[in-house]
Amino acid sequence: MSYYDIDSILTDAEKIPCTFQLDIPDLGYLDNNPSHTLKSGTRIQLPLWLAEMLAIANTGSLDEQAKSFVTFDLPSALGNDVVQALKADPRAVPLRDQSPHFYGLATHMMDLSEEQELAAVLRKTFVTRASEIALHARKVGGANQHGAKGQADEASNLGVGGAGEEFLRGLDEWERKLFRKAHDGTRAGKEWMDSVKKR
Amino acid sequence: MPMYGDLGNKLVQHAKRTQNLTHLPPYQAELVRSVAREVRDLDKDVASMLEPFQGSFDPSAHQAMACTLLVNHLSMRRNKRCLLAYHRTRTDKLEELVWSGYDVLDLSAQQTAGEEDYVRQYGDLLAAYKGQWTDIDLTGSLEPPRDLFIDVRVLKDAGEIQTEYGAINLTKNSQFYVRQGDVERLIAQGYLQKLA
Repeated sequence: MSYYDIDSILTDAEKIPCTFQLDIPDLGYLDNNPSHTLKSGTRIQLPLWLAEMLAIANTGSLDEQAKSFVTFDLPSALGNDVVQALKADPRAVPLRDQSPHFYGLATHMMDLSEEQELAAVLRKTFVTRASEIALHARKVGGANQHGAKGQADEASNLGVGGAGEEFLRGLDEWERKLFRKAHDGTRAGKEWMDSVKKR
Repeated sequence: MPMYGDLGNKLVQHAKRTQNLTHLPPYQAELVRSVAREVRDLDKDVASMLEPFQGSFDPSAHQAMACTLLVNHLSMRRNKRCLLAYHRTRTDKLEELVWSGYDVLDLSAQQTAGEEDYVRQYGDLLAAYKGQWTDIDLTGSLEPPRDLFIDVRVLKDAGEIQTEYGAINLTKNSQFYVRQGDVERLIAQGYLQKLA
């Protein structure tokens, strides 16, 4: 997660629901209403890069209940519906439909709030899905062995068919990288073995 | 609703696409200018907001303004990150192309004058680095050669080259049986085609 990391920057653009805690005259444009005061209690979807700092910074008042500018809730991608579905079967949820950077968003939210149960569900989700991803990645690479050689063969096998295709389409960015690595690794291993046999 | 940072995001999406390409797409001059302009506008806003305070702004006394200032500051910071990441992605790509032996002139259509300069200087650096090991071609192929000599066809005129066995004049469409090591660069650059 470096400063220059493109995926990390795109993750920071994911929006989460925020509630403003005070009236701010100049920020009406955030609520699509320039020239009007942004009222305390207004709920707006703000990108992470903005919401995070606004939630952490406090208003600087010296009294006891110094509050932050905004409070935030978990985004719908981590809402109850999704969590229940993940509990039932992590493999059946197309994470990509929730957010292309699902895990990035989730880990970011975990940093900001302490939701032990949610963290446990997410961990289990990743582990379960990771082994499924590895399985598919091997299958795709393995199909090459039986078929003749050539790109066309490989491409036609990328689909893996029905359920697998559905699952792979639902991978988030991180999982896609994992899949690509597992797939390339399997293939490189096989290529190396073949070249050893030839000598 | 357009918001501060939206343009920067567009730029980063371009960068994301660039990462997956084998060539360098055109420079998004207009977008870069717009993002830079956004930063200048934000900076102007901040300056005019703080002006009446003469350097003695107290955030706890003006909470709403403190929040506006923070939002402005964060937007500028976000834009800066987007701009830097976009350019870094491009320079990474250029370095990659230099290492793989692309002809600098082939690239120049897509890049800015600054990037062209970057490629030239990076190329010089790489050449100086490679110069330390004259008996190894650091940018050569990692595939061990199967044959010492290969058949090649000339795709573009490449002039005369010197080999251990004398000079060869590479004119278009001619065919030669040459030592692989002598022509590897020319194959990578697309002057020659290796024949099976």
